[in-house]
Amino acid sequence: MFHVAKATFIRNTRVMIRAYPWSFVIGHIFSGVYTVLFAFFAYHYVFAGQLDGNFVHLTGSSDYLSYAILGGAFYAFAVSTLMNVSRSLITELREGTLEAVLLTPSMRRGYFLGNVAQQLMRTLFEFSVIVLVGALFGLTLSHTNVWSAVLVWILSTGAFFCQALVLGSLMLYFRDTYITQNTLFAVMAFVSGVTFPIPYLPEWLQPLGLIMPLAPALDAFRQCVIQGAPLHAVLPQLFHMAALSLIYLVIGVWGIRRMEKRVMESIFG
Amino acid sequence: MLIAENVRKVYRVKERKGWFRQQWTEVEAVADLSFRMVPGKIIGLLGINGAGKTTTIKMCSTLLTPTSGTITVDGYDAVKDDRFVKAKVNMIAGGERMLYWRLTGRENLQYFGSLYGLQGQALHNRIDSLLLQVGLYEAANTPVERYSKGMKQRLQIARGLINDPRYLFLDEPTLGLDAPIARQLRKHVSELAAQHGKAILLTSHYIHEVEELCDEVYIIDKGRLVAHDTPEHLTKSLHLDTALQVVIPSLSDSLDYDLRQLVLDYGGSREIAETDEQTWEVTLRGKTDMTTPLLSLLAAHQSPVLRLSTQQPSLEDVILHMADRRGA
Repeated sequence: MFHVAKATFIRNTRVMIRAYPWSFVIGHIFSGVYTVLFAFFAYHYVFAGQLDGNFVHLTGSSDYLSYAILGGAFYAFAVSTLMNVSRSLITELREGTLEAVLLTPSMRRGYFLGNVAQQLMRTLFEFSVIVLVGALFGLTLSHTNVWSAVLVWILSTGAFFCQALVLGSLMLYFRDTYITQNTLFAVMAFVSGVTFPIPYLPEWLQPLGLIMPLAPALDAFRQCVIQGAPLHAVLPQLFHMAALSLIYLVIGVWGIRRMEKRVMESIFG
Repeated sequence: MLIAENVRKVYRVKERKGWFRQQWTEVEAVADLSFRMVPGKIIGLLGINGAGKTTTIKMCSTLLTPTSGTITVDGYDAVKDDRFVKAKVNMIAGGERMLYWRLTGRENLQYFGSLYGLQGQALHNRIDSLLLQVGLYEAANTPVERYSKGMKQRLQIARGLINDPRYLFLDEPTLGLDAPIARQLRKHVSELAAQHGKAILLTSHYIHEVEELCDEVYIIDKGRLVAHDTPEHLTKSLHLDTALQVVIPSLSDSLDYDLRQLVLDYGGSREIAETDEQTWEVTLRGKTDMTTPLLSLLAAHQSPVLRLSTQQPSLEDVILHMADRRGA
């Protein structure tokens, strides 16, 4: 499995060097920076620094700017991971290489692992740029529990990877990337607590946040960065994330297998 | 040995009936097909009325699951033991797919080799030997997007051989290639079977290619096997007409009359056409060779012979004959 992951990592890096997807990278950075700027201007000029009394109670902090900036950065990170992994098979299909890959006895786990490992380089870059811009606009990093934050970040990558498998299956099913991914991203941005706490949503909408790995991941990451929480303090969020990862992994693996067959059946001659 | 027994493949196809209604229909692409692939031999799969050939190849290469029937490769079931089977087979398709255009030829082979579990020096040596074999060693470090059509097709062959498969499926491998490159490729395919002992299954729209390369031919119509034999036996077994063509400078009424009599005596047919060079082209078709009586007749009429040729029935004639018969 690991040599397949390594080969896929090298292949993607070579392709990236020759045809770097700048449009996606810039798009993700712009979207994150936009969230930072929106939070900054809204907080200072619309709300004049006044927060709803409930905010502190729900988030454990009065630092709204750090809350929103981390939300924007983490959302961009989630979107990037989801996009890069979920689009891998449908890209093979579109470029006419899917059959050649499926002909081999290689483990699909290794293939996806290589994809996720390679895309981490890009997402780490995007995340760092957004956090850096965020630091200029009010993001406080001085309380950060670095090790806990890094660990949460790594575990979140795993959770987004599992969710990406399900998204990838849906893309193969609908033979579409644009509408499928953007519908999910819009819902994710709205229900996962990116710029405001989930309890602010109408009650009937709140359960949607529970099925998005971004919600517990973001909650745990914010606690580690804004309040300097140690890892054991965010265990409930990590368990929530682990449970979602497991569910998405099972559905994703099953879905990808089914969709691979379905795609092959639909191109008959 | 690869053994396909009573293989059947049914596709379920969705048809839209207005905005909200849809209907599923079943299309039988392969029906009750049985064949064998033996190391060192090339078999051809020819279709009369479309569908079935690519589906058969995809089932043998584990990309598709048969609806019923079995395919075993050296004793391994193509569905249950697909990983073992995948290691023993490979497929080369015509056109410019199945390659990463942004990678170089060498990088493509490195990637696919890794997916087959090859690593280190063994992979390196295999790639070098394949690049030399297909004549791409000099262009190994050029991105595939800068390759010509023929170079891409040769790289496809190298990709198809990267795992040293015992069974190779060639689906229209010379599609769209220039004649000299296609000929070079046919020579290479022939060597793969004769010198390297590969069992090869070939499908092609170019019937002369199948005739030239294949030891045995399976002819399928709507996924069903209608004939199986060597190309020579197939052409002989149908007792198709041999065409005898002669070009003469003039055609008198008496010669025309005698030609008609000759054709009647031998139970054949004739076609006469005037050419641009003011000569006459006479074509006699029949199951019996009419060369000798025709030459005697022309000598009797003191008619010089400008050109004489005989055309034996080809595999293409067999296919056309079968298509006509089944379409009728």
